[in-house]
Amino acid sequence: MRSLRREPVLLLALLAVIALVVLFILYPQLQVVFAPGPSGYADFLAGGTWLRPLRNSVEVTLLSTTTAVALGFVYAYAMVYSHMAWKPFFRIVGILPLLSPPFVVAFSYLLLFGPRGIITYGVFGQSPVIFGLFGIWGVQTIAYFPFAYQLIADVLSRSDARMEQAARNLGAGPWRVFRTVTLPLSRPGLGAAILTTAIYVLEDFGNPQTIGGVFTVLPTQAYSLISGFGDFTGAAAVSTILLLLALGLYVAKIRLDGGRAFVTISGRASSMPRPPVPRTVSAACFVACLALAALLILVYGTLVVSAFTAVFPTNLSFTTRHFEFVATGTNGDALKNTLVFSTVAAGLSAVFALFAGWLVQRGDWPGRGVLDFLLIMPAAIPGIFFGIGYLTAFNQAWLDWVDRGWLIILAMVFWNIPVGYQAAVAGLRQIDRSLDEAATSLGASKLRGFRDVLLPMLGGSLRVGFVTTFVRAVTTLSVVIFLFTPATTVATIRIYQLVNDLNWGGATAFTVADIGMAIVALIVFAVLARGRIALGAARA
Amino acid sequence: MTPQLDRRAFLKLAGATAVVAACGGATATASPSPSGSATAAATTKPTGTISVYSALNESTNNELFKAFTSATGVNVQVLPLAAAGDLQTRITAEKNNPQSDIFVGGSSEFHDPLGKQGLLEAYKSPNAANLKAEFKEASGLWTGWYTGIFGFISNNDRLSKELGGKKPSTWDDLLDPAWKGKLVLPDPIKTGGGYIFIATQIFRFNRDEDKAMAFMKSLHANIAQYVATSPGALLLIDQGQFVGCPNWSHDILTEKTKGNPVDLTVPPDTGFEVGAVSIVKGSKNLPAAKAFVDWVLTPEAGALNVKLSNRGSTVAGVAPAPGSPTLDQVKLVAYDRQWATDNKTRIQQKWQQAVGL
Repeated sequence: MRSLRREPVLLLALLAVIALVVLFILYPQLQVVFAPGPSGYADFLAGGTWLRPLRNSVEVTLLSTTTAVALGFVYAYAMVYSHMAWKPFFRIVGILPLLSPPFVVAFSYLLLFGPRGIITYGVFGQSPVIFGLFGIWGVQTIAYFPFAYQLIADVLSRSDARMEQAARNLGAGPWRVFRTVTLPLSRPGLGAAILTTAIYVLEDFGNPQTIGGVFTVLPTQAYSLISGFGDFTGAAAVSTILLLLALGLYVAKIRLDGGRAFVTISGRASSMPRPPVPRTVSAACFVACLALAALLILVYGTLVVSAFTAVFPTNLSFTTRHFEFVATGTNGDALKNTLVFSTVAAGLSAVFALFAGWLVQRGDWPGRGVLDFLLIMPAAIPGIFFGIGYLTAFNQAWLDWVDRGWLIILAMVFWNIPVGYQAAVAGLRQIDRSLDEAATSLGASKLRGFRDVLLPMLGGSLRVGFVTTFVRAVTTLSVVIFLFTPATTVATIRIYQLVNDLNWGGATAFTVADIGMAIVALIVFAVLARGRIALGAARA
Repeated sequence: MTPQLDRRAFLKLAGATAVVAACGGATATASPSPSGSATAAATTKPTGTISVYSALNESTNNELFKAFTSATGVNVQVLPLAAAGDLQTRITAEKNNPQSDIFVGGSSEFHDPLGKQGLLEAYKSPNAANLKAEFKEASGLWTGWYTGIFGFISNNDRLSKELGGKKPSTWDDLLDPAWKGKLVLPDPIKTGGGYIFIATQIFRFNRDEDKAMAFMKSLHANIAQYVATSPGALLLIDQGQFVGCPNWSHDILTEKTKGNPVDLTVPPDTGFEVGAVSIVKGSKNLPAAKAFVDWVLTPEAGALNVKLSNRGSTVAGVAPAPGSPTLDQVKLVAYDRQWATDNKTRIQQKWQQAVGL
């Protein structure tokens, strides 16, 4: 509190952050929460149609999060600790699932592993039932392990090599060092990674929609109430149930890592290399990453092949007409809108998240817990309701002069705050408070301490925020579906329209173009970020 | 939170961000709908632009609106989403500041609730005067301009190999154990089409719900999957992942003409939809919106839509698409749209209990 009184600028900054969070996160969402009214909730809850989707959601979230985090951890460990070959290749492949627009990629799994799938039936002559729990579990594991990998890799790469070297010098084996030094030091980051992954899985809509069959989860139930029947009241009630679940996850997170400080970046610079891992471990890492990468390449290769064939899989003659279609009419504008909106949103979101993370993690003012929760809440809000909330709140006649593109950008900024925010908090936890305290006791203001001391050390967190927001903005459909206008149509909307129009070739070509554009953009960002090809958070 | 605070904070941010936009040329500018003509008399020749929310197929949109513009001189700015429920929700959410003039396409079930909420402008087009009563809302809140019939899609290769090429001649034929694990159905909980299928069965059994549920339960034994969207189910049959699926006959016909190895059958006692057009209340260009409703009800527009989408026209004298079923030829159930809408939740729950989902 004292620092706020001493630094009016800091107080103003804090108030501005609170105002923005209330205006762009809380207020639009309340529009949705209050929409059904008491009787609407009572009727819907009494109907009981939400019970099974609720159970399904909990079940599949537990399963998929466990496997996604496990794989993400293996991938991150391999990238940060092992001396395996092909790391740049694995880094790029590992980012592919992050760039998947919904619907289309899940269809690719169907083509490969469905009852008449190219692999399952074509190669093995099997007709497995991939619809339902097991299908969703498998697809979500692949789709979300890269998110876990990004967050975990950032945490692992930040742990202090000197401690590990010291432990090795004292005679501990590599496994013991990992178990007793590396893992405990990574706990806050791991907790954040698990929580974030769980919330993404909980909120996933595209995969259960395509591959879930009758296995309905809360997001697909909410969407189908709207899409199939225009039942906004019921859908809003489902969304509220989803929010409450996320609250549960949040409380669990506080229990998990609350209170304990893990300091691994202290005043003196560390330039020591990590202790070597045994050759066999590196080899095992290589094999594991290769298997995962092969699977991903198969899935995305199917999309590329679909985009270049007349009618996949029945007529495999080569054609470029799907790409010619992507280049016609206003399709190019959709790609351009995606690029511009996502880049602007990623920049704003990353900076805002980092600043807010600092205010919360290093602040001493009351009510930080509330702001903390509000900043993490969007991750739990289904995108479709984020969009509807924005439309209800900000579609006002007196705002008609504002370009509608800003509505989409702002929705992307605040919907994606949680990742950058979590990364910032996890990063700050590992930086000793004595560093910024040294700056303030030498007379610097808190803001200056943040800018000159902490900010240079938080590059990784900033990049996690930027890259993740960018890729989520490139791939989101649900947030924009109620916000786009003809002039602000984005690529995912076009893909959705084409899938609904059963233009599979056009949809896959558009997807390939969208992913390709995002990869090029990420490489440009990486080059701009000090010339390193450092996609995502993992810094080898 | 007071409205003033909202406004100030938002303006501040909007102002700051507008600078960024100006520098980067960030976004395409939305062309504003012309205003001012809304108060003009309906007899004035319509001009300007209308904003149309369309649930029609993409190819239909492009051709249809081009023809409308050349016939009337009114430009169309279309927001296409082939999911009528999405558009219905959007119009509801935009009620304080409507962004559309016209809602076109989608079964009347999606238009009717908007009318009841007072979000539609009643307009009785002179061209609708001769339509049958079941094709229009009495006060003119929506008007039906096309029809779609529920049929059955089958994958040719797998049908001939695995079922001896035998297509179902009645809905009851689908209970044959030979179909076990080879059928899919649009999810009756998630899709309008799937629900219309159940309601159709209830009307087929003269509203004996227990008989209809017994049928759905037996059918359930043959169904491999309930699919989240109607088009998604068609794609599965196109690819041969499964053999057959009850679905919209016009969409099945379109898949067939695209070169997919599929075929259409329409078993008797089937259901249908009435595709509607309506004017959104608060339209900024009412004369042009009315001109649009008038135009889609002309025989020319009807014929064009039939050609583009394989749907039927409600306008008398418009020929059906080659190979497509018509309401006159097909034996329909006495489909009570109001009853089906009012009893939806109850029937869905009854179905869930019957099949144990």
